[in-house]
Amino acid sequence: MRRVITGNQAVAYGVILSRVDVISAYPITPQTTIVEELSELIGSGRLNTRFLKVESEHSAMAALIGASTGGVRCFTATSSQGLAYMHEMLHWASGARLPIVLVNVNRALAPPWNIWSDQSDSLSQRDTGWIQLYCENNQEVLDTILQAYRIAEAVRLPVMVVLDAYVLSHTSEPVEIPTMEEADSFLPPYRPEHPLHTGQPEAFSMIATPEHFMEFRYKMQKAMEQVPAIAKTVDEEFRSRFGRGYGSIERYGEGEAEVLLITSGTVTSTSRIVIQRLMERGVSVAGIKVKRFRPFPSEEIYEEIRGAKKVAVIDRNLSAGVGGIFAQELRASLYSKEERPQVFGFVSGLGGRDITPELIEEAIRCTIEHHRPEEEILWLGLKR
Amino acid sequence: MAKQIHFNKASEMPDVSTSLGDMDWNKTGAWRTQRPFYEDKTPPCSVACPVGNDIAGFIQKIAQGDVEGAWNLVKEENPFPGVCGRVCFHPCESKCNRGRYDEPISIHGLERFVSDFASSLGRKIKKGSGARKEKVAVIGSGPAGLSCAYHLTRLHYEVTVFESSSFTGGMLRIGIPSYRLPKEVLDREISEIETLGVEIRTGIPLGEDLGLDDLRDYQAVFIATGAHRSRGLHIPGEKGRAVLSGLDLLRQINLGKHVRLGDKIAIIGGGNTAIDVARSVIRLGKRATLLYRRSREEMPAFEDEVMEALEEGVKIRYLVNPIRIGQIDGLKRLECLRMELGEKDESGRRRPVPIAGSNFFIEADSVVIAAGEEIEVSFLPRGMERRDGLVLTERDGSTGVKGIFAGGDLTSSQRTVAHAIGSGKKAALAIDCYLRGKDSEEAIRQILIGEGPAISIFRYLHPDERPRSPHVVTFEELNMDYFEPSKRRREPRNPIKKRIRGFGEVTSTFPEGIALEEAERCFSCGRCNECENCYVFCPDASILKREGIFSRQVDYDFCKGCGICFFECPRGAISLQEEAR
Repeated sequence: MRRVITGNQAVAYGVILSRVDVISAYPITPQTTIVEELSELIGSGRLNTRFLKVESEHSAMAALIGASTGGVRCFTATSSQGLAYMHEMLHWASGARLPIVLVNVNRALAPPWNIWSDQSDSLSQRDTGWIQLYCENNQEVLDTILQAYRIAEAVRLPVMVVLDAYVLSHTSEPVEIPTMEEADSFLPPYRPEHPLHTGQPEAFSMIATPEHFMEFRYKMQKAMEQVPAIAKTVDEEFRSRFGRGYGSIERYGEGEAEVLLITSGTVTSTSRIVIQRLMERGVSVAGIKVKRFRPFPSEEIYEEIRGAKKVAVIDRNLSAGVGGIFAQELRASLYSKEERPQVFGFVSGLGGRDITPELIEEAIRCTIEHHRPEEEILWLGLKR
Repeated sequence: MAKQIHFNKASEMPDVSTSLGDMDWNKTGAWRTQRPFYEDKTPPCSVACPVGNDIAGFIQKIAQGDVEGAWNLVKEENPFPGVCGRVCFHPCESKCNRGRYDEPISIHGLERFVSDFASSLGRKIKKGSGARKEKVAVIGSGPAGLSCAYHLTRLHYEVTVFESSSFTGGMLRIGIPSYRLPKEVLDREISEIETLGVEIRTGIPLGEDLGLDDLRDYQAVFIATGAHRSRGLHIPGEKGRAVLSGLDLLRQINLGKHVRLGDKIAIIGGGNTAIDVARSVIRLGKRATLLYRRSREEMPAFEDEVMEALEEGVKIRYLVNPIRIGQIDGLKRLECLRMELGEKDESGRRRPVPIAGSNFFIEADSVVIAAGEEIEVSFLPRGMERRDGLVLTERDGSTGVKGIFAGGDLTSSQRTVAHAIGSGKKAALAIDCYLRGKDSEEAIRQILIGEGPAISIFRYLHPDERPRSPHVVTFEELNMDYFEPSKRRREPRNPIKKRIRGFGEVTSTFPEGIALEEAERCFSCGRCNECENCYVFCPDASILKREGIFSRQVDYDFCKGCGICFFECPRGAISLQEEAR
C-alpha cells in the first residue's frame, strides 16, 4: 500500500507493523504527533498495545526498562530536551542490554529556545551505548524501525532511530507501507533470552564491584562490534523482501571522485541534486550518506574514501570546542589508516537553518579550491 | 548461606548483572554507626492515670477487634473499668497526644465500652492459682479497699473486707447518683471481685464491733474508711431544720430512701457533691440553685458535669457567700455577701473577698450544705499520724503502725475514684512486700509508670514481659504524616427532657463499631502496634517478624543503621542509639 504520509506517521506505521507491546512516551514538539497517532489507535482499541502515561521522558524510559526487562517489545519517541532529560535512563537501558527502540526527532537543544532541526540532541547521547540510525526520508523511517527491532533484539542493545524535525516529521511523502503479514514475516515476535518468571524472582542491574564491572562493559562493546555484520544481514534480508535497502553508508555520484561529500539525514537528499548538477558540469565529486552513526562505520567509510584526496563533511551539529561531530569521528577513524584524505569540517544548518543547494555547492567548491582547510571549523551559511 | 561468586573470565559472566545467588555472605551490618531498636515507651495518658491503666495497650486490643483481650488487660490494673469509664475525671484525656493534633481519644468511653461489652459476654476474671498462707484484713469496701482486696487476692492472699454499713461500695454507692453510675454496674464489678475469692462482711464498723485486737489473725490490715463527715460552714443557723448535708442527702437518694424536700433548694458549694446534689434534686422535680463563693473558673467540680447541670436547669450563682441561715414565713432565708476575687491562695485559685455592705437575701425551701467532706478519726488505731485532716502514710501506704496500711480518701486530698483505686493497688503491693520481707520502695520503683506516681501490677506479676522505658512520648516525637484528622466519637446522650425525668444514665455506652473507630484513632504513643511501617520502609529488608516478647526485631547482620525505621515510625516505638565500638 502506497500512501502520502508525514515522517511522524511513518514512525507510527513502523511501530504498528513491529507489533510493539508497550509504549511509554511524553509529548514534545516535534515528536508529539507520533504519540498522538499511536495513543489514538490504542485508545480506540485498534492497536493492542499497552500505553503507559508518564510525567516525564525520564520516567518514560524507566517504565520501558521495566517492561523490557519483563520480556516485551517496547517503544518510545522523543526530541531535544526530552531526550536530554532521558539521558540517565539511556545509559541504564543499554547497560541492562535491553532491545528498546526509540525514535528521536532531531531538534536543537535550548537555549536559545528553538524547535527546529539539528542533531545536537541525538549526538549528545552518542556515548550512551545506543545504536544510532539516521534517516533521509519517510520511507527510510518506516523501514528503519522494522530493521531496528531485528538488530536490537539480536545484539541486545537499544536502537535510536533519528529523523529531522519538520523536513521529515511534518512533511508528507509517498511511502510504501508493507502489509502486516509482510512485516511479520520479516520481524518475528520478540523472544527474550532471559525471560522473567514470577516464581523465580531475580534482581537485575544491581551492583557490580570493580572486580566485575569492566567485563560487563567489555561484553557491551563486543555486542556493538557485532552490529555491522548483523545490520548488514538484516538490511540484505529486508532488501530481498521489500526491494529496499540502505546499508550503513551509501555512496552515490562519480566512481573515482577526487572530492567526497559526507552528509547524514535530509541534507543528503539536497546533496544528491547538487552533486548530480556538478557532475554534469564535469566536476569530479561523489557523496556518502552515513546512516549508522553508532557503531561508527569506520571501515565502510574508509573503503569508499581511501582513494580520494579530500573529504568534505557537513555537520548539522556542533560540539563546542571541537566542531562538527561527524567530522570529528571521521578524523579519529582515519588516524591509524595509511591513506588519509584531508577532512574539511563544515558546520551548517544549526537550529533548523536551511542547508540550501547553494550552501552545499559552496562547501564542495571550497574543498576543491583549497589544498587543506583554512580553519578547523568551516562555518557554512553563517552571518559572521 | 551462599558464598560470594567470583568470575575469572568475561565469557563465564552473564551479559547483565543478574542475581545468581544471595547476599547473605555480606554482613552489611558491620557498616552501622547507629543502632535502631524496638523500645516500648510510656504514653502520656498512662502517666496521667492515677489507677495506672495500660491505656494504649487495651485500646490497641480493641482496635485489633479483641475486646476480651482489652478487658483482661484493663482488669490487670483496675477492678472497676465500668465505674471509671463513667465517673473518672479522665486526666488521661487531657494529656492525650492526639489532643495536640485534633481531639483526644475518648479513653473513658472505650474503658466503659470494654467493661460493658465483656459483661455482656458474661466474662469473668480468672482466679490465679497458688495460695499464700497469710491473711489480710481490709477495712472499708469503697474503691480503695476493694482495689486493695482485689490485687491482694491476685497476689494469692486470703482477704476479708470489713464494711461498717449494710451495703458495699462506699462512696461509689452513696456518693455517686445512678444517672452517672448505675447500681448494676457497681454491683457487677464488686461481684467480680467477690468471685475472685474476696470475702466482704458488711455491718461491721471499725471501733464499735471491730477492734484491732479482733484482727490478730490477719498479718496485715489496710484501712480505707474514706471521708464521710460533711464539713460544716460554721455559720449561724446551719444546724437548723431543713438544712441538710449534701452527702447525707445523696446517701438517702442513692439508697432509694424517701426524702422530704421543699420545692426550691439552695445548695452551698462548688464541688462535685454540690453538683451531684443539684442534678439529683432536679430529677426529683425540684428547682436547684448553687451558691458558690468564687467564679466558674475556680469551681472544683468537673467541667463536663457543670455543663450537664446547667443544661438540666441547675442555676449557679457565683461570687456569693452565705453568712447566716435564717427563717422567714416557713422559708429558709440565707443572708449572703457578694464576693470579689483577690490574690491567689495556696491552692493557686484566686481568693474570694467579701464586698463590704453587699448583704442580700436568698429564699429557699431547703438548704443543702456541700462544702466538702472530712475523715472520721475517732476509731483509728493509736499511733497513726495525722496531718491537715489526713492520715499520714509513706508512698507505699504504710502507716506508723507496723502491718497497718491506709489509703483512699483517708490519706489523700485528691478525692477521686481513680486516686482511691490507685492507692489501694499500691497498698496491695506494699503489703505483699511487707509480708515477704521485701523492700517495697524498690519494688515500686521498678514498676512505676513513667516517673510515677501510678504503678503497674501487671509488670509486678509479669517481670519477664517486654520492658518499658519510663520515657514519656511527646507529641513532637510522633510522625503525623501517618495520621489523618478525625473527629472524637462522643457517647450517645439522652435528650435533656428525658434525662431530668429520672435517674437513668445520661449517656450510653459506645456501640461496638463506634468503639472500634475510636480505638483506631489512638496514636499508640511509644507502643509498637505492628503497623509494619518499619518493615515496608527498611531498605535492607532487616526488619524480622518473630515470635517473642518483641514481635518485630532488627536483623543486625544487615541493618546498616540508616535510621529510616526510626524516623518513619509513626509512634516513637523505635529508638536509635550510637553503635558501641
